[in-house]
Amino acid sequence: MSMQQLFLKLYNYWSKQGCYIAPTYDLEVGAGTMTPDTFFRVLGKKPWKVAYVQPSRRPTDGRYGENPHRVQKHFQFQVIMKPSPLDIQRIYLNSLVYLGINLLEHDLRFDEDDWESPTIGAWGVGWQVLLDGLEITQFTYFQQAGGLELFPVSVEITYGLERLEMFLEQKDNIYDLNWSKDVSYRDLRFREEREFSIYNFEQADTQMLQRWFNAAEKEAHRLINQGLLMPAYDYCLKCSHLFNLLDARGAISVTERVKLIGQVRTLVNQIARKFVEQEGGEN
Amino acid sequence: MEFLLEIMTEELPSSHVRSALVQLEEKFLQVFQEARITIHRLQTLGTCRRLVVLAELAAGQPDEEEVVTGPPRHIGLLPDGTFSPAALGFARSQGIAPEKLEVVKTKKGEYLGFKKLRKGISTEKIIAEKLPSVISSLSFPKSMRWAEGSFRFSRPIKNLLCLFNGQVVEVSIESLPSGNRTYGHFIHSPVTLEVNNFAEYEKKLRENFVLIDPEERKRSILNQFKEKLASLNAQVYPDEGLLERMLWNVEYPLVIIGSFPEKFLKLPIEVLSTAMREGQKLFSVVKGRKQLPYFLGIADAPADPKGFIASGHERVLKARLEDARFFWENDLKVPLTERVNGLSQVIFQEKLGTYLDKVERMQKLVVYLADRLEVRNQKKELVEAARLSKADLLTEMVREFPELQGKMGGLYAREQGLSGTISRAIYEHYLPQSLDDPVPDSLGGAVLSLADKMDTVVGVLGVGYTISGSSDPFGLRRNALAICKIILEKKLAISLDRFIKKSISLLEGKLTVPPEDLFKTCLGFFEGRVRYIFEKQGYRYDLVNAALAPGFEFLVQTEARLKALNELKQSKNFEPFILMAKRVKNILKEIPKTRVNTALFKEKEEKELYSILQIIKKNVEDMLSKGDYLGAQKIVFRLQIPLNTFFDKVMVMAEDKKLRNNRLALLAMVQDLIQQLADYSQVVIEGENKSS
Repeated sequence: MSMQQLFLKLYNYWSKQGCYIAPTYDLEVGAGTMTPDTFFRVLGKKPWKVAYVQPSRRPTDGRYGENPHRVQKHFQFQVIMKPSPLDIQRIYLNSLVYLGINLLEHDLRFDEDDWESPTIGAWGVGWQVLLDGLEITQFTYFQQAGGLELFPVSVEITYGLERLEMFLEQKDNIYDLNWSKDVSYRDLRFREEREFSIYNFEQADTQMLQRWFNAAEKEAHRLINQGLLMPAYDYCLKCSHLFNLLDARGAISVTERVKLIGQVRTLVNQIARKFVEQEGGEN
Repeated sequence: MEFLLEIMTEELPSSHVRSALVQLEEKFLQVFQEARITIHRLQTLGTCRRLVVLAELAAGQPDEEEVVTGPPRHIGLLPDGTFSPAALGFARSQGIAPEKLEVVKTKKGEYLGFKKLRKGISTEKIIAEKLPSVISSLSFPKSMRWAEGSFRFSRPIKNLLCLFNGQVVEVSIESLPSGNRTYGHFIHSPVTLEVNNFAEYEKKLRENFVLIDPEERKRSILNQFKEKLASLNAQVYPDEGLLERMLWNVEYPLVIIGSFPEKFLKLPIEVLSTAMREGQKLFSVVKGRKQLPYFLGIADAPADPKGFIASGHERVLKARLEDARFFWENDLKVPLTERVNGLSQVIFQEKLGTYLDKVERMQKLVVYLADRLEVRNQKKELVEAARLSKADLLTEMVREFPELQGKMGGLYAREQGLSGTISRAIYEHYLPQSLDDPVPDSLGGAVLSLADKMDTVVGVLGVGYTISGSSDPFGLRRNALAICKIILEKKLAISLDRFIKKSISLLEGKLTVPPEDLFKTCLGFFEGRVRYIFEKQGYRYDLVNAALAPGFEFLVQTEARLKALNELKQSKNFEPFILMAKRVKNILKEIPKTRVNTALFKEKEEKELYSILQIIKKNVEDMLSKGDYLGAQKIVFRLQIPLNTFFDKVMVMAEDKKLRNNRLALLAMVQDLIQQLADYSQVVIEGENKSS
């Protein structure tokens, strides 16, 4: 099965579970969790089911295309179900069966791994799912986001698509994966990985990034005061990505790191609080 | 009668399973004891998906006779012996025939009454009533809510099986009703199983790939280890912690063996075993002291029919080892000496500054300690070791595997050609991590460890942190315990007081607590740790109190005093001497200011006591200078007889004030001498009121 078929099968499976298939979000994010389709929708009381593919950028994970496992951009398949169904583990297992994995021939484990994202004031309890020792999914019951206790609780299932595909194709090198029948992961992504690694680690203009960070932070602040919460949140996402770029350039000291993350979190927490207020908890 | 409870959940962290089982056992013991239900047996079992309680209990509370009293005898009985209307009314109101009434004697006098048999409550009813609160009271380090509920537990609860004597006890947790059903292995046999008793429960689970008894899983794992390694003539590298963890992580353990390319054997064994243990939780395989290119893993499956499990682990491990090799080679490119300055970017604690500040303080503490211990010749090297000790925090390997901090520093130092003294001291300076962990082997490692930990304890307390209950963010308890353990096991003759003061002086300017207050806080904190260590070693708390009273500035001496005291507690002189010491202490409640004036001795016994005291004092001092605390205490015990005679024959509280004060002064001399050894009055003698 190619990577493309993997996407399609997961879309298919989760739409059958009642999920709305969201288009990929058009901003750089570090994880599928950060897009508005997750962040805003896990707040408040309104039920929500969504699934989408999200490219996730982690500049420090770049390896110039030379490491067979690590890349600065990878693809996540993100599922949110709110409230968390009582048999969600079984629903998840069935998705693997749907992908053609015979679980009776493997060792599948839910291994304790709680999750937190200080930038968006979120944390949850859950597992990493290991398939014969390979981490293929992060499985989390969200307890808090934007600094708010969540009720009801959403469950988040994040498949690491490259990992899963390497398992399915039994390959040791990410670039050897088949994106489709005649396009390989290398064809699509190798040049991008190499050039972005050079950019992230060597070429990014840190002074410019710092200015942009400050400007984006200021803009988010202004927009919050205007009550324009979704644009404000976009600017927080921009801050987060600019921060990651600065980090990859080694331009952030440990003290500053805590300070900058704290700044973004404060904004995100304000957005979350106002959002819930505006929606009267009915969202 | 049999009680069987199974709480099925989604996968619990292994530490949560263990703690929940301990709590369940305690709580049910308490429930049944309080309810007066006889417990024949109560045990817990479980896996990562099941918390199980199994007990053999009485059917219910014993029936009890209760006396119900009515009117007083003189009102209830008429002079002719027949019942009065009041008595008849009482009988009617209680629903009994008047003939059942009899005269009962109570404290208040004689009344008419009758004996009523109160039926005991059935065990089943007690279980039904108490179970929900037992389950909801289980505590976990971190708990969660799920779906639309507000109930908190470690992970979502899926099913509740609750049987007493084969019958379902009807209860519900968060609208989840109890029943007589359970389920087989989540993946390999997810079928519904109906059970009536534990024997059936255990058997059906086994048939469906669940071994409910942790001991059995452990035996199975160890046997499979042996089988897998028999042909290699090799051994598994012992890792009790990992075994214990895995044991609770699986329902049906399957040991798999795999290999990795030999080229990775060039990596240090510390790195190899950590890369295997973390993430994939694999065991290392060794032959004697040599690492072999194999690993053992524990899967939760009945079999690996196509070898996918083993080959999957091999692939994942290979990628991890590639990463580790990349870190190792890359890290080595930058000498530790060059990394040190980067520590100015790493905050140790906001008010205490960076790790660079910390290592600079550690260097000074190392000089202080080296001058006082037998490592003066290594002083220069140890100062260098202190400077480099935290540089590995900036390496990629430690960023990936934080638990390798210190060890990596030591290994990199060795590879980069620094001396054995330096690399060993760095390698060992996080030891001991707990009371069960060994202390550094080298004296250099011990010195560095002491310097590091004292700086942390004094610094963190000095910026106003308080330690209480579970709040101990910098692990100060662990650090202080480690300091005491090192001093005791290495028998280091350093003054804890002065060591603390030195550390305080180095932190000047950063502290928010005034130095004198901080010193007192530190002493109090250390005293608590010292007590904990001694009590953990099995010493009686009152002996610990007695031995600590003269101080614990020199811990090795405090321990020697305690050991001596502990040894002497069996001797026949012990009790009389303790009682005498208490008597002396009591009478000296108001200590006189006068000194002894031998000219004022009037009685023979006074003079005798004084002269014996001079001899004993000299002997005790001789013994103490040799460090013989047992000998010293034995000698001081000889004071008991002359003291006894003194108290018998001499009136201490004499009318004459001069005489009285002189006699008290003599006793104060005795007190001064014996208090150097211990505060014997703190020892509790059997039959004596503890509070005295």
